[in-house]
Amino acid sequence: MARSTAEVSAVTDRDGVPDGGTATPRAPDDAEHPLEWDEQENNDLSPEERTSVSQPAEKVDDRKLVTGQAKYTADYDERFPELARAKVVRSEIPHGNVVDIDASAAKAMDGVCAVITPDDEAVPDAKYTSAGQSYPEPSPWDMRVLNEHVRYVGDPVAAVAAVDEETAEEAAAAIEIEYEEHDHVVDPEAAFSEDAPRLFGADEVDNEIVGHDYARNRMAHIEGKIGEVAAATEREDVHVHESEWSTIRQSHAQVEKHTTLAYTDEDERHVLITSTQVPNHTRRQLAHLFDVPIRDVRVKKPRVGGGFGGKQAMVVEPIALALSLAASRPVLYEATREEEFGAMRSRHPMRVRARSAVTADGTIEAIELYALSNTGAYGSHGMTVAGNVGSKPLPLYSKVPNVRFEADIVHTNTPQTGAMRGYGAPQGTLALEGHLDRVARDLGIDPIEFRRDHYMEVGDLDAIAGMMGGEGAERRIRSCGLDECIARGKEAVGWDDLEQPAAEQLHRGIGMALSAQGTGVAGDELGAAQIMMNEDGSFHLQVGGVDIGTGADTAFVQIAAEVLGCAPADVVVKTSDTDNTPFDYGAYASSTTYISGMAVKKAAEDAKERILKWGSHMLDEPVEQLDTCGSEVYSDRTGASVTLEEIGYESVYGEETREHILGKGTHSTEESPPPFAAQFVDVTVNEETGEFDVNKLVVAVDCGVAINPKMAEGQIEGANHMSYEMAVNEGITVDSEGRAEQRDYEEYSFPTATESPPIESILVETHEPTGPFGAKSVAEVPTNTVPPALSNAVREAVGVRITDMPITAEKIKRALDEP
Amino acid sequence: MKYTLTVNGERKRIEADADADVASTLRAAGYKGVKCGCDGGVCGASTVIIDGEARMACGLSMASVAGSEIETIEALGSQGDLHPIQQAFVDHLAVQCGFCIPGMIMQTKQLLAETTDPSEQEVREAIDDVVCRCTGYQKPVEAVLDAAQRLRNDSAGIEESTAMTDGGTLDSGGERRD
Repeated sequence: MARSTAEVSAVTDRDGVPDGGTATPRAPDDAEHPLEWDEQENNDLSPEERTSVSQPAEKVDDRKLVTGQAKYTADYDERFPELARAKVVRSEIPHGNVVDIDASAAKAMDGVCAVITPDDEAVPDAKYTSAGQSYPEPSPWDMRVLNEHVRYVGDPVAAVAAVDEETAEEAAAAIEIEYEEHDHVVDPEAAFSEDAPRLFGADEVDNEIVGHDYARNRMAHIEGKIGEVAAATEREDVHVHESEWSTIRQSHAQVEKHTTLAYTDEDERHVLITSTQVPNHTRRQLAHLFDVPIRDVRVKKPRVGGGFGGKQAMVVEPIALALSLAASRPVLYEATREEEFGAMRSRHPMRVRARSAVTADGTIEAIELYALSNTGAYGSHGMTVAGNVGSKPLPLYSKVPNVRFEADIVHTNTPQTGAMRGYGAPQGTLALEGHLDRVARDLGIDPIEFRRDHYMEVGDLDAIAGMMGGEGAERRIRSCGLDECIARGKEAVGWDDLEQPAAEQLHRGIGMALSAQGTGVAGDELGAAQIMMNEDGSFHLQVGGVDIGTGADTAFVQIAAEVLGCAPADVVVKTSDTDNTPFDYGAYASSTTYISGMAVKKAAEDAKERILKWGSHMLDEPVEQLDTCGSEVYSDRTGASVTLEEIGYESVYGEETREHILGKGTHSTEESPPPFAAQFVDVTVNEETGEFDVNKLVVAVDCGVAINPKMAEGQIEGANHMSYEMAVNEGITVDSEGRAEQRDYEEYSFPTATESPPIESILVETHEPTGPFGAKSVAEVPTNTVPPALSNAVREAVGVRITDMPITAEKIKRALDEP
Repeated sequence: MKYTLTVNGERKRIEADADADVASTLRAAGYKGVKCGCDGGVCGASTVIIDGEARMACGLSMASVAGSEIETIEALGSQGDLHPIQQAFVDHLAVQCGFCIPGMIMQTKQLLAETTDPSEQEVREAIDDVVCRCTGYQKPVEAVLDAAQRLRNDSAGIEESTAMTDGGTLDSGGERRD
């Protein structure tokens, strides 16, 4: 059912002021979103035609990773004999003003290289956001590198660089800070009031975001709709269902802590070797913050030990750079694990209300979601994450005519939140998929058939994704494997033949949930790549795209090798160094394979064109007759061939004419096709105690063509594990002062190897014509689905529904005991 | 003071304070495969084998390991000649960011030295102290079970395991397209 018109209401800020990235709303236009994509012939290869893409291939960095030879940021210490170590002094109070800092004892200590405080010359005074997004930045400039107005336990106030860690720690401990304390607020509902302690004064924020109302601690308000939900809910033939859901404050908990090494080189340029997801955004943000030209900043990403959104934030880099400037020597700042939990970033905890109007025969006439998001002390990603609570899950049900979403994003004196894998979609998916299960049960309808009657299919013009502008846009659906995801998931989990345990008190049930994500931020992405040929027919591939452990570098190599007709081993990949690789927005929003990968494909095609010219010259055959394969250029007509190595030597050492074969590619698009997931959870619940065992997670994902199927499975399994944590663990909890109660992994519970259920990942191949060789994204969509599927499974097993995450034995027992 | 240790079969005299952390000391001595992911003794990334026992090197004092034999990830295979456990991790695509992997492989080495044919549950228990945030443990568990098989085959003189053939590298650009 294509929709030709939609009423779109997006709230925008004053003209000329960054409006938080909200796009100008437009009516969807069929002609603008043709179903038939003008796809290059070489992009749609049958499985038999593929020589590199979707073939098994070793991950290009694995050998150095398994031998301990790979270099992460902290491993560069040995190259800097003068390296100083950083330690940050953080606020011990939830809210107040620094009135005095006595750093004299710290400065006098032997081995201390620099002590910086908010007033120090080396410390930028500008307000900024740590978000690490594109430009103009859709997050408010509401923080400083070091803060006098502190808003949570953990806000950075001062920092020390010293010859070793022990000295840095001693010096940091010797800094005395006197505060004037203010009232604080920890609960988001209490904070959202004019009577609550106010976190931000009138002049304390620049680049304010749409809907801000700091008198009520609201950093943003967003809403969008199509159709008329209110009118639909008043109809006599519908029943209105309401439910409310809440989610945890999840830590990224990536094993490599935020780590950065800053120095100024012999050309007086600032260099950061840093564990980041966004080298180019970090370079721009540092240049703005320190008021230096972009050309004088270099950001270089080595191996990264996991990111999950946490390293999109520019959290540690400004402090290290300021210390390095103050100390005139290189500085390494490696956050502690305690800082990771209390002072880096986390997933926005939310309460989400779902409301629907459904006829007795199960036709959904209207759906709306409302989210109250707790953004913590600062507003990075506050508006955009909340927008995705609606704009990712709701489009899945494209047949619903009336849809509305609204969110309030409020500040509390608690640790900062930010981007995290799933980016709002997990919160919205819990509410939507839990809600639909409840409605289906109320109506006595099969939960899968109920969904199937309303979900997306190929040909749909999706207006819901674009209803709030910003990180979504209306789009045509050109690939959708939902039917097969469901069929294969059901088969794998044993949906139709579940055996009940022998013990009377044990009950087994299966729950399911669906999800859609996006592939990159629609209309706000850019990737670029260059490829150069070596004499021996091998290649150097330079890509701005960022591999944070996902295998992106390997996907780039496989894409290049497919185009060039060479072995993956013949492509040397160099990525993510702003001095040496082309521009890229970075690793977020499930964009890397789709955006940067397409740039690689274009660069390889550009190089291939030159290779075929040389082949034509050497074989004396017209280019039209030639193609590459098996590291050769060959003629279809005559069967004659010349190797890439022969072309490599001839092109640079030829007697008559010479050329360095180079290819370049840059890619941006308005498209953001959704990948899909069908989740199934098999659980056994003890009705006497509420204790439960998750027997198995099954998740089938349509990610288009998987460039490396085993790597794609790994992404699915890791995402599903993170999703499982959201369903069964507490995440970061805060005390009455808003202080994170977890300081190390032994206090932060997430499922260990013995606590993790087996995960069966299933790849359902479709062909997405807008993606490189048919690929779309994979790594986020399976993060969204376990909380609702487990909630639904528990309901199926013992008849009670848990809506407040995490699901625990105590909550199930309490619900079972209710009269 | 100076401590004498045997690291990866080599006798070493290492200068360190008595209460210096073993993981940091090993890293400073060049054994960068020893990783630190927590504030001491929790995450498992620094796991090495000390006198035959897999232990986290962080949170241990140098004085407590004086005279010990320590084996780090660097003692296993090289990139061109991987140890069967390392090969299994590579073949199963069990590695994502890789930060926890040296510790997990050292735990695996000890497990397989003690138990040549572990059950899946035994594998999960062996790596239970290693925090991995990327994989959901699914592929690492499969890799360890396959590594056990490879090592059993090796000791029985059987040629390389053929159980997993889909993890290899393509050595050519494939066949010509029509």
